[in-house]
Amino acid sequence: MNTTRRRFQRGLLAGLIVAALNATVGFGSAHAQTTADVPAAQKEGKLVIYGVTDNEQANHLIREFRSMYPAINVEYSNMSTTELYNRFISESAAGSSADVTWSSSMDLQIKLVNDGYAQPHKSPETAKLPDWANWKNEAFGTTYEPIGIVYNKRLVPAADVPQSHADFIKLLNTQTEKYKGKVNTYDPEKSGVGFMLVTQDKQVNAAGFAELQKALGAVQVKVQASTGTMMERIASGENLIGYNLNAAYALTRAQKDPSIGIVLPKDYTLVLSRVMFIAKKAKNPNAAKLWLDFVLSKKGQEIIASKADLYAIRPDVEGATTASGLKRELGNALRPVEINTGLLTYLDQAKRLEFLKQWNSTVKGK
Amino acid sequence: MLQTLPRRAVVALLALSVFFPIGLVLYQSALSGPFFMPHALSLESYAFIFNDPDFWQAAKNTMAVAIGMSAIAIPLGAILAFIMVRTDLPGRKWLETPIMIPIFVSPVVLGFGYVVSLGPVGFFSVGFQNIFGSVPWNIYSMASIIVIAGLTHVPHVYLYSSSALRNLGSDVEEAARLSGASPFRVARDVSIPMVSPALLYVGVLVFFLGFEIFGLPLILGDPEGHLVLTTYLYKLTNKLGTPSYHLMAAVATCIIAVTFPLVLLQRFLLKSAQRFVAMKGKSARQRPLTLGPWKWVALALIVAWLFITVIVPVAGIALRSVVSSWGQGINLLEVLTLDHFRAVFQEDTMIRAIINSILIGTLGGALAVGCYLAVGLATHRKNDLISRFIDYIVLTPRAVPGLMAGLAVFWVFLFVPFLSPARSTLFSVWFAYAIVWLAYGMRLIQSALMQVGPELEEAGRLVGASRARVSRDITVPLIRNGLLGAWLLVFMIFEREYSTGVYLLSPGTEVIGAQIVSLWASGAVDVVAALSLINMALVGIGLTVALRFGVKLHD
Repeated sequence: MNTTRRRFQRGLLAGLIVAALNATVGFGSAHAQTTADVPAAQKEGKLVIYGVTDNEQANHLIREFRSMYPAINVEYSNMSTTELYNRFISESAAGSSADVTWSSSMDLQIKLVNDGYAQPHKSPETAKLPDWANWKNEAFGTTYEPIGIVYNKRLVPAADVPQSHADFIKLLNTQTEKYKGKVNTYDPEKSGVGFMLVTQDKQVNAAGFAELQKALGAVQVKVQASTGTMMERIASGENLIGYNLNAAYALTRAQKDPSIGIVLPKDYTLVLSRVMFIAKKAKNPNAAKLWLDFVLSKKGQEIIASKADLYAIRPDVEGATTASGLKRELGNALRPVEINTGLLTYLDQAKRLEFLKQWNSTVKGK
Repeated sequence: MLQTLPRRAVVALLALSVFFPIGLVLYQSALSGPFFMPHALSLESYAFIFNDPDFWQAAKNTMAVAIGMSAIAIPLGAILAFIMVRTDLPGRKWLETPIMIPIFVSPVVLGFGYVVSLGPVGFFSVGFQNIFGSVPWNIYSMASIIVIAGLTHVPHVYLYSSSALRNLGSDVEEAARLSGASPFRVARDVSIPMVSPALLYVGVLVFFLGFEIFGLPLILGDPEGHLVLTTYLYKLTNKLGTPSYHLMAAVATCIIAVTFPLVLLQRFLLKSAQRFVAMKGKSARQRPLTLGPWKWVALALIVAWLFITVIVPVAGIALRSVVSSWGQGINLLEVLTLDHFRAVFQEDTMIRAIINSILIGTLGGALAVGCYLAVGLATHRKNDLISRFIDYIVLTPRAVPGLMAGLAVFWVFLFVPFLSPARSTLFSVWFAYAIVWLAYGMRLIQSALMQVGPELEEAGRLVGASRARVSRDITVPLIRNGLLGAWLLVFMIFEREYSTGVYLLSPGTEVIGAQIVSLWASGAVDVVAALSLINMALVGIGLTVALRFGVKLHD
C-alpha cells in the first residue's frame, strides 16, 4: 500500500502533495499519511524550523538529524514565542512560512493549530507518547519540563527552602520581612508562558491559589519578563527565591553556577511541554515529517535529555532529566499541562484581562 | 528640467521608503485585527488604550524622560564638545574614543551593566555600603532611568556639536579671549551660539529619542513596574495573549502625533540658520584656546562623566562576561572563567552574527550615508515645498519605536511581491536600519551642509557649472569631514542596533544586536555579556582603524 502511494507521490510536485494532504484532512486523520517518505524528503532537500530553543541546544538535534539525512539542509531560526507567532501568521498570510514550528508557548501553538495552520501526521512514534501530548495528530508535545522554585543556595538557609507550594506560602507569610522584595516570578502581563503557568496554578490548586497570590503580594514580589533575568537576580542575591521557573533552564545554569538551587514542589509540579506541529502550507512537508518522527524517536529524545538540557517526554528514555526519572522522584505530583483546546480559555480577551486585573489588585496592590 | 529629475527620483524613493511602512502602521491602528486577515475598520484600538490607566502613566513617564534627558544631555554635550574641539585640554586624543562608548553599546546591555555594578547587590553598591553603611541611590527608580538616559545621550549631542564646532574659524573666539573673556564665557557667548543650528537639531532629536528609548526602561523599569510608551507598547504584544497589532500601532501613532509638532517647531527655530554660516571661502586657521588653570576643572568634569556613564556599566558587563556568578558573598576570584567567550566562538550563528554585524556597519553604513547625502543634496539651498516636505518625513521614522518599525519593514518585504526575495538577505536588515536612523544621519549631513557658505556654490554656478557639478566639485568635497564623521556614527549605531532586526532575523541575516535580544530572553546573560564585549571591541577596532586612515575627529 505504502509503496504504491510512494511511487505515485514521487511523480507529483510538492505543491500537489500539500493539496492532496489538505484534501485528506476532511476525511479525518485516519487517512493521513502514516509514515514519512524518505526519498521525497531528500528530494525536498531543505527544512525550515522556527523555534524558541537556543541554537546551542537545538543544534544537538539538528546535527544528529543531518548525519542521518545528509541531503536535507536544516535552517533553524531561534526567536521569542511572540515573534514566532507573529512571523508565522504574517508569512502564512503572504504565502508560506516555516515547515515546522516548535515553541514552549503551548497556548499560542494550540491556537495556531486550532485556526487551521497545521497538517496532521500520523507518526509511528506517537504510540509512545502519553495521550495528553498528542492532539489530533496535529500538535505534539516533545519535552517534559518541570516548573519549579529556584533559590539562592548561598543565602537561603536550608531550613527555609520550601518543598511544596504550601511550604512556600507559609515561608512568605511567616518571614515576610526577611523576604520582602526578595522573591521574583514571571510578569503574567509581559510573558505569555508566565501567564499560562499561573493560570494552570489556579486550575490545579484552586483552593490554595488565593493564598498564593496574597503571600506574593505581602512580600511585594518582583516581576520579570523572562527566566533569564529572574535567575540572574537570584544568583546574585538581589532576589532570593524565584517562583514558577522552568527547571530545565535552571538546571543548565546550575551546572555552571553553584549559587542556583532548584526545588520541584512535592504537592504538585506543573510540567510544560514544547509543542511542535507541521505547517499546513509547508514547502517541505516530507522533510518536516521526518524531523518530527526523529524528535519523537528514542534517539531524538535521548539527545533532548542528555545533550539539549531539556527533559525527554518518552517514557522509555531513562535518566534524571526524563519523564520517567521525574515520575520516580515525584510520582503523582506531576501535573503536565495537557495539549488541548482548554489552553485557549485565557486567549479570550475579556477573560484574560479579567484575570490580569484580579492578579494586579491582589499581587501588585494596583 | 533634466537637473530636477534625479532630485525628484530621490524624493519619491525616500517618501515611499518612509511612508509605506509608516502608512501601514497608521492603517493598522484603525483596524480591529491584523491587516492581512479579515478585519473591520474601527477605532476600538484607540478606545482600548485611552481607557487603560497604564497608557496614561506611561505617557507621563515618557514626557518626564524626554524633558529630563534633554535637560541633562544638551548642555553637557555642548560643553564637552567645546572642551574637546576648541581647547588645549590635556589628553584629548585619548578621550575621544571612550566618549563614544555609550553610542555603540546597546542600551539593553548598558542597563544590565548598571544592574551588575549599581544594583542592590552590584559590586559598586556593595563596596559603597561597606564604607558608608548605606546606598543613596536606587537604580530602578524613575529618576535613575532619566539620569542614565541623559548621561548616555551626551555623546550624541557631542557628535553633532563637535562636527559643527570643527568647521568654525578661531578668529571669533580669539577676539573674545583678547577682550578678556574667560574660556567658559567664550564657550557660552561665542562658540556654542555659533553652532546653535546643530544644537537645535540635536536638541529636538534627543527629545525624540526620549520618546523612543526602550532598552533602559525595559531593564531598569521592570522590577518596580515603571512603564514608558515603548515598553507599554512592548507589553501589549503579550497582554492579550496574541499579539495585538492594532493596539501596538495605535500607541505608535500616538507617539508620532506628539513628535510631529516638534518638527514644526524645529523648522520655525531654524528659519534663521543663515546667520550662522561660518565656513567662508577663506577659512581662518584653527588654534585651540588655552585653558590655563581651567583645564583641570574641565578634565575633572569629563572624567567624572566618563566614570559614571562608561566605566561603571562597562566594568559591570566586563566582569559579568568572565565570571560564572556574582553578587552578595561571592569571591570573584573563585568564579573566573572564559567559558562564555568559548560558547560564543563555538556557535555558527554567533560567528555569522559577528561577520554580518561588521558588514552592515561598514558597507551598510557607507551605503546609508550615501543615501542620506543624496537626500541632503536634494534639499540643499532650496527652500521650496519639496524641501519642506522632506524635512517633515525625515524625522517621522524616529517616532516609531524600533521594534514596531522592524515589524512594519518585515511586512513591507513580505507583502510587496518584488521585494520578497530580498527579505531573508541582509538587505532587508540594512533597509530597516537605514530608515530607522534616517533622522540621525540626515541631521549630521544637514548641519555640515549648512556650514558651507552660499557664495562658494554661487561662484561655481556663476562660471557656468551645473547644479550637479557644483554639488560634486564644491559642496561635497567641502563637507568631507562631516561625511566621514557621519559614516563613523552610522557604523556605530548600526553595530549596536537591537530591536529593529528582531523580526528580520533568519539564518544568514543574524546580527549581534538581535542575537543579544533573543539570548536575553532565554537567560544566557553570561553569553550576552561576552557577546556585548565582543561587539564593543569591534566598534573600538573600527573607530581606531578609521582614525588611523585619516577620518578626522580633530583638525
